Amino acid sequence: MKYVKLPKENLDAFVENLKTHGKVYGPVKIGEYYSFQEINNSKEMSLEYSRTMIPPKKFFLKLKERLFTFNEEKGEYKETLEEEKIVVFGIHPCDINALKLMDKIYIDETPDKYYKMRRENAVIVGYGCHPDEYCFCHSLGTNYAADGFDLFLHELKDGFFVRVGSDKGNAIVSEISELIKDVEGSDIEEFRAAERKREKEYTLELNIRGITDMLALAYESEVWKEYADKCFGCGSCNLVCPTCRCYDVVDNVNLNLKSGERLRRLDSCMLRKHGLVAGGLNFRPTRIERLRNRFNCKGSLREDTLNCVGCGRCTVYCPSQIDYVEVLKKVRGEL
Amino acid sequence: MMENVLLPKLAKIVKSEKMTAIERFLQVEVLDKKFAEVFDYQPGQFIEVSIMGVGEAPISTCSIRTKKGVIDLCVRNVGRVTNAIHHLNIGSLIGIRGPYGNGFPMEEMEGSNLLLVAGGLGVAPLRSVLQYALKNRAKYKDITVFYGIRTYDTMLFRDEFYNLLAEGDKLGCKFYLSYEDSKDKQCISLEAEHSERCMCGVVTKLFERIKLSPEDTYAIICGPPIMYRFVVQELTKKQVPPEKIYMTLERRMKCGIGKCGHCIIGDGTSIKYVCKDGPVFTYWDALHTKGMI
Ligand SMILES: Cc1cc2nc3c(=O)[nH]c(=O)nc-3n(C[C@H](O)[C@H](O)[C@H](O)COP(=O)(O)OP(=O)(O)OC[C@H]3O[C@@H](n4cnc5c(N)ncnc54)[C@H](O)[C@@H]3O)c2cc1C
Ligand code: SF4
Ligand code: SF4
Ligand code: FES
Repeated sequence: MKYVKLPKENLDAFVENLKTHGKVYGPVKIGEYYSFQEINNSKEMSLEYSRTMIPPKKFFLKLKERLFTFNEEKGEYKETLEEEKIVVFGIHPCDINALKLMDKIYIDETPDKYYKMRRENAVIVGYGCHPDEYCFCHSLGTNYAADGFDLFLHELKDGFFVRVGSDKGNAIVSEISELIKDVEGSDIEEFRAAERKREKEYTLELNIRGITDMLALAYESEVWKEYADKCFGCGSCNLVCPTCRCYDVVDNVNLNLKSGERLRRLDSCMLRKHGLVAGGLNFRPTRIERLRNRFNCKGSLREDTLNCVGCGRCTVYCPSQIDYVEVLKKVRGEL
Repeated sequence: MMENVLLPKLAKIVKSEKMTAIERFLQVEVLDKKFAEVFDYQPGQFIEVSIMGVGEAPISTCSIRTKKGVIDLCVRNVGRVTNAIHHLNIGSLIGIRGPYGNGFPMEEMEGSNLLLVAGGLGVAPLRSVLQYALKNRAKYKDITVFYGIRTYDTMLFRDEFYNLLAEGDKLGCKFYLSYEDSKDKQCISLEAEHSERCMCGVVTKLFERIKLSPEDTYAIICGPPIMYRFVVQELTKKQVPPEKIYMTLERRMKCGIGKCGHCIIGDGTSIKYVCKDGPVFTYWDALHTKGMI
């Protein structure tokens, strides 16, 4: 890794430079929530944010998007994907690790062009954070981003300790060589001390050892019914989860009935129609099966790591106050 | 330019024949010559069929490839997309993507007996397995087919299967037929003609008719979900090991390539995408993946 230092007074000039690499988005406070929004300067951002409601997945897997248009008379399917360069500033380590997980799914042996192109057209600037009472990324090992970013900023008293994570990041750093400095021994010591301190700030713990077996063994457990009775089946937990990526597809026809478009939008496994198959048979007919399915999916190693990064969003934004960590503690028999 | 796997490729209907009240046979040919060259598929794989303005549905190949760029499908009319497919004329344009899915391990099964058990529409994907095995006849030992229908009217590929029933042994396979409606006249007369190969009852009854050697037999099952449990029970009684029982599953699919998450099944220890880890799984997979069958 290459390390450099960005003095605090140069942050705005740095953001100005980033604008030449695409539209810059950063965490902005809206009411009582945080959201990644387009920004013009660093002052519009709330870099001390806890978590955004909608994770950065929205930049790569759009909440709703057109896949292509079709025209029956011309006999054509036409791709309408447009390239746009963006910079996402201030992503926390859990969300960077979530994007790495999404990459495994969307950029596999049959890559999704929409997702892949957007990932390639984005600059990821990570930002160090401090946990609140809902964060348990520490338990999952996702509280540190070892890679998956172009640049990563850790706050120091008088500047930022910057990790340069890619050639793209390095190119940016070379463009702004007059804004940055070499790191000194005292910067390194300050960074290390801050990381040591941060490790001790976590209050919420989730024991993930053997979690896959614990889930399989609790398949018939009463836990699912207990929480299914509280669950509204609203799907908010899926929408806010940085690793939930189910989508649904619909075709829209124009008035001439000959042309139209195919759309996809984020979907939710907590909704009834997600498990339907031919003849109206439903493999997950009740909320019990759907809730259990969500926890088993999150707690599996299908993509070599658990499908959860411990961001706490599903607990924070559940209208029924279903606590993700509490459910898993019950699954294990700790509660 | 990177390929867009979600963008369908144009194909036209070259054949469309009514098979039963709700099933049609379709032959489809892709338009793009370059794509036709590389478009190939294995038994057990499926394609995504798009009808402009209606949507997309996964449909299994029901034959092996005999002509470049051509694929045979057997479609049951159950809803929006499949209904639209039924109303296509010769020459109509559709979109296709694929082939997708793992397919049956035809090479792994070489040197063994094959027992194909099909119920209803499940015979469509198994027909491609049968065609493959008969084309490569020397590579397999005995080939036995069980096909369960409700009534004569619901029987798919009637001429072809009647032929196999009557002369199957000469053509290289032992073909057995079961029917559920005990009052069905045509079935009764079929049974009278070929009493040793045709009987009334559910498909599992046909197990009474054969001697199965569990040490060198692969079973391949496809049918409605309820059928799997009973067929697997029979096979287990006959000591066919779980890893030699193959079945193909159906789930609602929105992508076919492991992205949309609709076909995910299982528990923490084993999560599977039916579309890309399957749709063909072994009974062993089902034993350690909750909710599979
Ligand atoms: C791997 C695979 C292979 C298949 N092979 C064949 C085949 O060879 N021939 C054939 O006729 N059918 C096959 N099917 C089933 C076929 O895909 C569905 O019947 C079809 O998608 C229904 O779409 P529709 O728009 O006509 O129905 P809809 O109007 O969407 O719905 C009608 C009913 O079908 C259910 N349904 C909707 N979409 C699906 C889906 N993708 N899979 C299962 N059920 C669904 C709905 O819940 C509803 O009960 C296969 C399915 C899979 C997963
Ligand atoms: S957010 Fe809460 S109430 Fe809504 S579906 Fe998820 S668990 Fe159920
Ligand atoms: S399951 Fe909950 S805690 Fe885990 S990544 Fe998703 S939203 Fe965050
Ligand atoms: S059909 Fe989309 S993941 Fe399997």
